[in-house]
Amino acid sequence: MQTPESSHRTTRLRHWLGQAMRAIDRALATVLLMTPLFFGTANAQTSVTVAPPAAAYSAGVAYEWFYLVSQLLQQTPGNSPPVAARSLGYLGLTLYESVVPGMPGYQSLAGQLNELSSLPWAQPDEPLHWPTVANASMATMTRMMFSNASAENKGRIDLLERSLPLKYPDDFDPAKVTANITNRSETFGKLMAMAIMTWARTDGGHEAWGPLRRNRANYVPPSGPGTWSATPSKYLPPLLSWWGEVRPFVLTSTQECVPPPPTPYSQESDSSFYRAAKEVYDISNVATQEQRQFALYWADDPGKTPTPAGHWSYIANDLLRSQKADLGRAAATHVLLNMAMSDAFVAGWAAKYQYNLIRPVTYIQLFIDSNWVTPLFTTPNFPEYPSGHSVQSSAAAGVLEQQFGKNLPFTDNTHNDRGWGPRTFPNFNAAANEASLSRMYAGIHFRFGSEGGQAQGRCVANKVMALRLKP
Amino acid sequence: MPTSRSKAPCALRRSARALLAVFLLHVTVPGWTGPAASPLIARFVEETETAGLQSRFEGEDEFMVGGGVAVFDCDADGLPEVYVTGGVNKAKFYRNHSTRGGPLKLQEQRSGLELTSATGAYPLDIDGDGNMDLVVLRVGEVEVFRGLGQCKFERANALWNIKTGNDWHTAFSATWEPGQSWPTLAFGTYYDRSRPDFPWGTCTPGALLRPDPKGGRFAAPEPLAPGYCALSMLFSDWNRSGQASLRVSNDREYYKGGQEQLWKIQPGKAPTTYTAEEGWKRLQIWGMGIASHDIDGDGYPDVFLTSMADNKFQKLSGDASRPAYVDEAFKRGITAHRPYIGGDIHPSTAWHAQFADVNNDGWSDLFIVKGNVSTMPDFAIQDPNNLLLGQPDGSFFEAGSVSGVASFRRGRGGMLADLNGDGLLDMVVVNRWEKAQLWRNVGSGSAIAPAPVGHWLQLRLRQNGGNRDAVGAWVEVQTGDRVQREELTVGGGHASGHLGWMHFGLGETSQARVRVQWPGSGWSDWTAADADGFYVLDRQSGLRPWRAP
Repeated sequence: MQTPESSHRTTRLRHWLGQAMRAIDRALATVLLMTPLFFGTANAQTSVTVAPPAAAYSAGVAYEWFYLVSQLLQQTPGNSPPVAARSLGYLGLTLYESVVPGMPGYQSLAGQLNELSSLPWAQPDEPLHWPTVANASMATMTRMMFSNASAENKGRIDLLERSLPLKYPDDFDPAKVTANITNRSETFGKLMAMAIMTWARTDGGHEAWGPLRRNRANYVPPSGPGTWSATPSKYLPPLLSWWGEVRPFVLTSTQECVPPPPTPYSQESDSSFYRAAKEVYDISNVATQEQRQFALYWADDPGKTPTPAGHWSYIANDLLRSQKADLGRAAATHVLLNMAMSDAFVAGWAAKYQYNLIRPVTYIQLFIDSNWVTPLFTTPNFPEYPSGHSVQSSAAAGVLEQQFGKNLPFTDNTHNDRGWGPRTFPNFNAAANEASLSRMYAGIHFRFGSEGGQAQGRCVANKVMALRLKP
Repeated sequence: MPTSRSKAPCALRRSARALLAVFLLHVTVPGWTGPAASPLIARFVEETETAGLQSRFEGEDEFMVGGGVAVFDCDADGLPEVYVTGGVNKAKFYRNHSTRGGPLKLQEQRSGLELTSATGAYPLDIDGDGNMDLVVLRVGEVEVFRGLGQCKFERANALWNIKTGNDWHTAFSATWEPGQSWPTLAFGTYYDRSRPDFPWGTCTPGALLRPDPKGGRFAAPEPLAPGYCALSMLFSDWNRSGQASLRVSNDREYYKGGQEQLWKIQPGKAPTTYTAEEGWKRLQIWGMGIASHDIDGDGYPDVFLTSMADNKFQKLSGDASRPAYVDEAFKRGITAHRPYIGGDIHPSTAWHAQFADVNNDGWSDLFIVKGNVSTMPDFAIQDPNNLLLGQPDGSFFEAGSVSGVASFRRGRGGMLADLNGDGLLDMVVVNRWEKAQLWRNVGSGSAIAPAPVGHWLQLRLRQNGGNRDAVGAWVEVQTGDRVQREELTVGGGHASGHLGWMHFGLGETSQARVRVQWPGSGWSDWTAADADGFYVLDRQSGLRPWRAP
């Protein structure tokens, strides 16, 4: 039973407790404000708060980095189409793996990709700010992927990393993100990029412009009827003859996705092969203005454009932005799209150097018209079958159909600054078909090379889309 | 983030209020004892200069890993000597002239062990003659030295038919296979030295040297292939089957498609790795070091693996029928992924790891040596070593700073061992490009007046036959209802080995019971032992106190 005296003591105790609580509150607030760089350690396992998921932020960070990368692909030496696709693949994976701990219901792809068993995982008690994580990881990976970029472009990488928080104040609201969370998030992002780059170095395609190229310089293409030989006008040696041996991201073997065999080689004028060459020759002579535009639009030349993979990456990046996608959705799209395109090039290159098929220009000059040259641009310096652009474009279209829908009309702004766009397509498949056939209009591929590439690309897309992003 | 700043103070306020409430309860509620006491802090005093330790581990590319130290008693005075590798510098052997219970004193002495290109060292008695031998890992051929007594050594590669080749040797462990009087030696290697321009994917295989059936030497090496750039390996009886397996921690920086490995070493059979079908879970880390101890008291060794900010504490999951492990580093507070003091926010790089009881409270602690590989900008440059004190609830408490061992140098190898015979484990750390360091554990006292923090007991095992030190034995020390359990191993850590007194903290208990499961045999009977003493437990004659000469 409570006596008046004990009641009085209780009241006094409550009063004193209240005063003490308020004093502690004031002291704690002071401590927090005066120690902005404090960060928790594993031993101070105090869960400060639950971090908002990646879906709570815009895809701005992803957009800006892939936009810059599209320019780096164009301006950095060595980024031939397969190399560029590989760079995009690792960048897509870096973005996804750095934010997937903040994507409830999703899982890391470690364990599903070739020779990648595990990756670092965010500490469960340490809230991370996903835009900061993504910014740090993409900056770190971009620096490593474009280590031979010009000084000016290296400066652009640094500038983008620094300026992103200012460009996206809603995502990087300093009033809502403490310094310790920012520091921790940058640390995790860098660690993820380092781990993925560690894996990337062992795929056989790392720094293809450096030691690898020197080691592989002795390749001699096989000779014989119907085999590829160097093409006019520069007669360059074959490009990246070993790229089919590069470790794919998803395909367990390039044999998982092979194109149908090409049309049997023949020099006879009544053969299917001859007719295919004649078709290329005839189209070159009577091509419509539209067909010529298609050819130039999808040329995607290295050194002048972001390359074919960069073109499709640009389309996806633009779409994510126009649809106001969140960071998590952007990560899921970029990882699948870019790994699919990289694997498409590996599989396509394996087939190219397996079949080692003669280019139209060589065949036509030998058997149809010795004065003929490709009408719009020179033939790329690697074997014909299958069309690499067709493999990669079909793989890209397959993934984008999954991500955005099969019948989504979209506008392609990739080449606006070259005066060739914008162009609107009824759907992704239409764009991929146009890209594929454009190679025949350009005189660099047979029709069966484009069609064989499309079949191989769809196969690659299906393999990549079979990844389990969700458990 | 929308809520972090607004919620953080609230959470801390709640915590502070809870603490205040606890305080009030403590002062107002009689009989309430409050939360568990914070762990006892053992203080360390650096005595590098005064002790006479003058070693630097130096060298460029091929010396970015390694930097080990071996601690072993070769003059039978009970105080272990110290052998410190130097990379391109000559390794140095230091005779231990410390005063018991007093300051550390190491005297450099010519021993024949002054090798260049030495990266790591492990002591063990290979030929069973009672004199400690020494295996020295090198960038190049491994050199093995036969102990002659009184800290004299002779090169024994030819005598024992040890041919390791000219690889980059980075890891070592040894075990005695059942029925063998000579050990089986395992060597791990790094990447192909002839491919320095593109080292990725060029990890070279390790090698297993088994006793020659004719005796007195080793048979031709058996490959441990594939090799994935091993930086630490340890023979340990993970499932208490009586047969040790070889755990290998690999540096994923260089391997292609690799993973951490566990090799089955079965008598008369070629080594094979445990597979996913057998329960092994693939794990890829930048593996640098291995520490092993039965932390949770379930009778099986737990394993701590060091890495670059991705350290793991692996506990056997399920029964011991499958080598399936779960990671409990976070749960126990030993992720140690970032510097805990110094302000550097980048991830840590961890190398040597060792479980031992530095504060003699009866709970094993975790010592981790840290340091940037060189000047990697994305990893911490100011990366202090950790001293994580084990607590009764299974968690660990970071005491590196308050204990005085939070060195910011580029740490590599290290060792905790009682260098002055006072029952307190002292610490030596080898640093890249900088001087090695030595700390004396002064307990709760000071350099002038050391004071104990708890009782202790130290033990050496002895048996007849080749495996005189009983490598592979399990020792149990019982205090009250609690049993500490330790496996006697050779290997692990980062390029650093110790063989000598097994140290057990006893806390406030002044008496303990001891028993041992001898290799390939059952448990001995329990024998009582007073605290704060050295003992020899002989398989034939039992437990007897050891007195310093």
